[in-house]
Amino acid sequence: MKLSLNWIKKYVNLPKDLTMTKLSYDLTMCTVEVEDTVSIKKNLNGFVVGRILTVESHPDADKLRVCKVDVGDTEPSTIVCGGVNLAPNQLTVVAVPGAMVSWHGEGDPVEIKPSKLRGVMSYGMICSSNEIGLEDLFPTTQPAEIMDITNFDIKPGTPVAEALDLDDIIIDIDNKSLTNRPDLWGHYGMARELAAIYGCQLKPFDKVELPKTTDGLSIVIDSKECCARYAGLVVKNIKNVPSPFAIQSLLWRVGVRPISLPVDITNYVMLATGQPTHGFDRNHIKGSIHVRRAFAGEKLELLDGDILTLTTEDLVIADEKAAVALAGVMGGKLDSILSETTELIVEVANFDALSIRRTAQRFDLRTEASSRFEKGIDPQRVDDALAVIVSMLNREFPEAEISGYVDNYPMPLEEAKIRVSLTFLRKRLGKELSEQQIDKYLKSLGFEVSFNGDDMLVKVPSWRSTGDISIPDDILEEIARLMGYENFEYVPPTVVLEKAINQRGACMERALREYLAFRCGMQEIFTYPWIEDEYILASGADMSEMLELSMPPAPNESHLRSTLVPGLLKSVFTNLRYYESFRIFELTQIFKNNNYHSINETLEMLPNMARHLGAAFVGNDARVLFREAKGVVEHMHTGTQMEKLSFAQIQKPMWAEDKLWINILLNDELVGEIGLVSPKVTRDAGIRRSVTVIFELDVEKLKPLASRNNVFTHLPEYPRVNFDLSITFDESVKWSDIYEVAFKTGSVKDVRFIDEYRGSQIGENKKSVTFRTWIGSDEGTLTSDKIDLVTKQIAKKLNKRLGGDIRGL
Amino acid sequence: MLDKLKDNMQSKENTVEKNDLFARLKEIKTAGIEKINATFLPEELQLVRANLIGRKGKVTEILKSVGQASPEVRKILGQAANEVKQVLSDAIDQHNEHLLDSLSSVDGEVDITLPGIVPQQGGLHPITQICYDLNDAFNSLGFEVFSEPEITSELFAFDNLNFPPEHPARESMDTYWIKGHDEGHGAKRLCMRPHLTGASVRYLQQHGAPARFVYPGRVYRNETTDARHERAFFQYEALIVDKDFSFASGKILVKTILDKVFGRDVKVRMRVGYFPFVEPGFEIDMLCLVCDGAGCKVCKHVGWIEVMPGGTPHPNVLKAAGLDPSVWSGFYINIGLDRLVMMRYGVDDVRLFHSADLRFLNQFK
Repeated sequence: MKLSLNWIKKYVNLPKDLTMTKLSYDLTMCTVEVEDTVSIKKNLNGFVVGRILTVESHPDADKLRVCKVDVGDTEPSTIVCGGVNLAPNQLTVVAVPGAMVSWHGEGDPVEIKPSKLRGVMSYGMICSSNEIGLEDLFPTTQPAEIMDITNFDIKPGTPVAEALDLDDIIIDIDNKSLTNRPDLWGHYGMARELAAIYGCQLKPFDKVELPKTTDGLSIVIDSKECCARYAGLVVKNIKNVPSPFAIQSLLWRVGVRPISLPVDITNYVMLATGQPTHGFDRNHIKGSIHVRRAFAGEKLELLDGDILTLTTEDLVIADEKAAVALAGVMGGKLDSILSETTELIVEVANFDALSIRRTAQRFDLRTEASSRFEKGIDPQRVDDALAVIVSMLNREFPEAEISGYVDNYPMPLEEAKIRVSLTFLRKRLGKELSEQQIDKYLKSLGFEVSFNGDDMLVKVPSWRSTGDISIPDDILEEIARLMGYENFEYVPPTVVLEKAINQRGACMERALREYLAFRCGMQEIFTYPWIEDEYILASGADMSEMLELSMPPAPNESHLRSTLVPGLLKSVFTNLRYYESFRIFELTQIFKNNNYHSINETLEMLPNMARHLGAAFVGNDARVLFREAKGVVEHMHTGTQMEKLSFAQIQKPMWAEDKLWINILLNDELVGEIGLVSPKVTRDAGIRRSVTVIFELDVEKLKPLASRNNVFTHLPEYPRVNFDLSITFDESVKWSDIYEVAFKTGSVKDVRFIDEYRGSQIGENKKSVTFRTWIGSDEGTLTSDKIDLVTKQIAKKLNKRLGGDIRGL
Repeated sequence: MLDKLKDNMQSKENTVEKNDLFARLKEIKTAGIEKINATFLPEELQLVRANLIGRKGKVTEILKSVGQASPEVRKILGQAANEVKQVLSDAIDQHNEHLLDSLSSVDGEVDITLPGIVPQQGGLHPITQICYDLNDAFNSLGFEVFSEPEITSELFAFDNLNFPPEHPARESMDTYWIKGHDEGHGAKRLCMRPHLTGASVRYLQQHGAPARFVYPGRVYRNETTDARHERAFFQYEALIVDKDFSFASGKILVKTILDKVFGRDVKVRMRVGYFPFVEPGFEIDMLCLVCDGAGCKVCKHVGWIEVMPGGTPHPNVLKAAGLDPSVWSGFYINIGLDRLVMMRYGVDDVRLFHSADLRFLNQFK
């Protein structure tokens, strides 16, 4: 919202030494965020008033003229100009050589220099209104029209800002910081706030006389729940003429386009008081004015030309025949102030915030009026608006007659009264305040305070009573912000030490991430919870159990992930553009349209949400990648203080190929899976090169340990020896069987897989498995005979039970 | 001793042959030692050994010829030859040890400027990194880490937090509603959480007060995305609830975050701000670290950068959490982690965080 400093100053005498920097700072700290302050005068620097003396044709250019212009110097300046409306005696705007000017009122100033135009020296430039950012105040009617200010009685050479009385500063307030302050949506409200901050006097509005008669005006509020108050004035003998420049200029400064005097007056009132008003052509209003809900399908043509089809929830202003305005949003085109209007009905009304808001949302119509009403304006403000309107009419239309007045205000607003304990204030402020201090701060904001022991009773002014101030904490804030938050020193809180934090769950999640990142060399990624359908389809995941967004980011991104696999596939696809092999993981929530449950509130049934851990291993050798992935899961418990996982082939994941997959178990419960992504899934996901192994785990099912569970065993007293064996088996023999047999041989302490080999020397459907065996005894050092014996025993058992064949033994 | 022997022998009437042998011995010894010390390789030294005291070595040959000498010469000469043999053998052993000690275990030439072998590469997402740093800081102050599921209800996202029905503030957070659960109201209407604050009421309902906890996580808004706007982003929220907690104590939360992230003392100011769930509410600014408050492009010439909202929980929020607002109060802060990481490292596009692009992620170790 834009505010004019000069306009604010009409209502309050600010301290003489107050700088704009200080004002912005204080307003930002205490009230609302000042986004910017702009000096109009500064933007018009370097432009002066010039009187054109003569206009002659240019010897070498048809479209250019050579003018003599009085710019206040002793001699007239010669200026070459292409303006189409140049005329002797015309007053215009000139940028003189040496001046630093900002074109269009924006950007860094540039210097004006004399220059030759088609052979004729030109000392300065005659400007059009849009070149100096004043096109809204001085609209042009044709291209290449210079700004004509002949109507103004100004001496040539006068700076334009001074000549047009534009020495003002525009304060731009962040609207978001104003949502809870309906009282600040006008200059008077902001003046009141500044008066409180600086302890200055706020000037009251002019006292005005309102007619005692209705002059036939009748107002019926049919929808009382949506309209607390509706006042109307009948004004006769007005003309739809342009406003005086001073009014136009004020409106323009704060971003409102001047239209005509009657319309400008209604806008002026709104900008002054924050209370929107509207004017109807009286001759168009038949019978009583009604404030009612629209009929279903009722049509209304608005001022902007849009024809709306209304619903029964929309509030309209209507006469006996039809709707004439969309209440609180915009007037109707047919019955508002027209060029031939001579008699007005001026509406000053209070509409329900929610109703206006819904209507504005329904038709996507945000107007100056609706954005004010939807914040919740107090009905008392109608009086302020009436006062301003009457004095404006008296001043601007001396010949007009305010002949009728009706005020329909069935249920006057109760001002809020709040009881606040002084002890509460003291404790929460962390400061002791005297009754005088409290009274001073609150009074300056329009509150009335009475003290009674530890209690004080605060009467809230009407303009803060529409929801803004309703509880003791609100009063505390009012006092604290006026005292200045900077004046509250940091008070270190005191705490009671009870017990140490012990959150195994949170710790395990972190340990998992750190294990994967730092021990397993994997990179953590984040992906969106919604995924493109193509990756879901590629993964074969069941879409029917997925939740969907009502308004998804994109039509093909409406499903929420029920598995991390589609997201991993996409990430593999995108990263393969730059990398050949990599390992990534993501630990985050998945969502499923089942298992609805409550966590806090029985009425609140939340869907199945579990944290999953997904990882992808990308490279060239599927067997190795699979074993790497398996290794990461197999050893997960070592870095994370959780129970150990095991493996079994139980149920193949949809996305895995037939051979390389295995399920992950915890105490016989299925908790996840590892698998090589099948060729079809790979192709459907657009992955061309490389192979991908994925694992996914349900983190909710993992069991954190209450503490570390390392087990100490005595170091062996006698040395252990190890030897490697390479034994040929049929392909059907599994390592787990080999291990079992070897490990259960006497004196064997450990058996570890080293390698497997397939090749022509071995034979078809055969593999050679190499493993290392550690043996030892607690009674003494093993002799070489004993070692030979164990070696032979292992080989013999593997041969007998599993058909293993060792050459040379 | 050898010299003395030789003198004795010379003093006696002996043959020229004997004198020759002694002279040769002396010569072998001197030349041998020279040769030994001039050897640089152990293998070479073995050759030298063979040449001097091996089976066909020079000293061995003299020893062999001792038998042919006269008995009295034989004895002296034998002694002398053996002595030379011993001296040479010792010298060889000593030099051999010296050679072995100074030997490199690497064959051939080396280039020590070759880069080191890269250890396992991997890492946490930059947002996780900052989040864990902050968790550590808050843990050290006795704050628990809490999280709620990402799908919540209107009850927890708005109603409990003192957002009046259809209030404009609800609209400022364009919420993703869940299809099939978007018709009802309150607990029946489900959405992707638009902010974290709802989790505070969940925690307080479960644990009561006093309470100190943080609850970082991802939130969702239905927005148009660009380099500065995202639909999914991370927030870090902390809440302390205690008896008669003054807002002037709330700064501890602000300072804990900023000092940790920026690794230095960061000046902050609190100014008025409106959020439905706090009263009083604050916008919290930090002094611009680029210009130290003088005003620059980064802070839009204000000297301060808006970093987080905060404030005392609104009495209605405490009531929703089952706490008596006349007894309990506290302080909230909420900071956008994406923006914080962007500020910290100069990241210029918020969408990179969810891109899973390893070229981006690999930069944060």
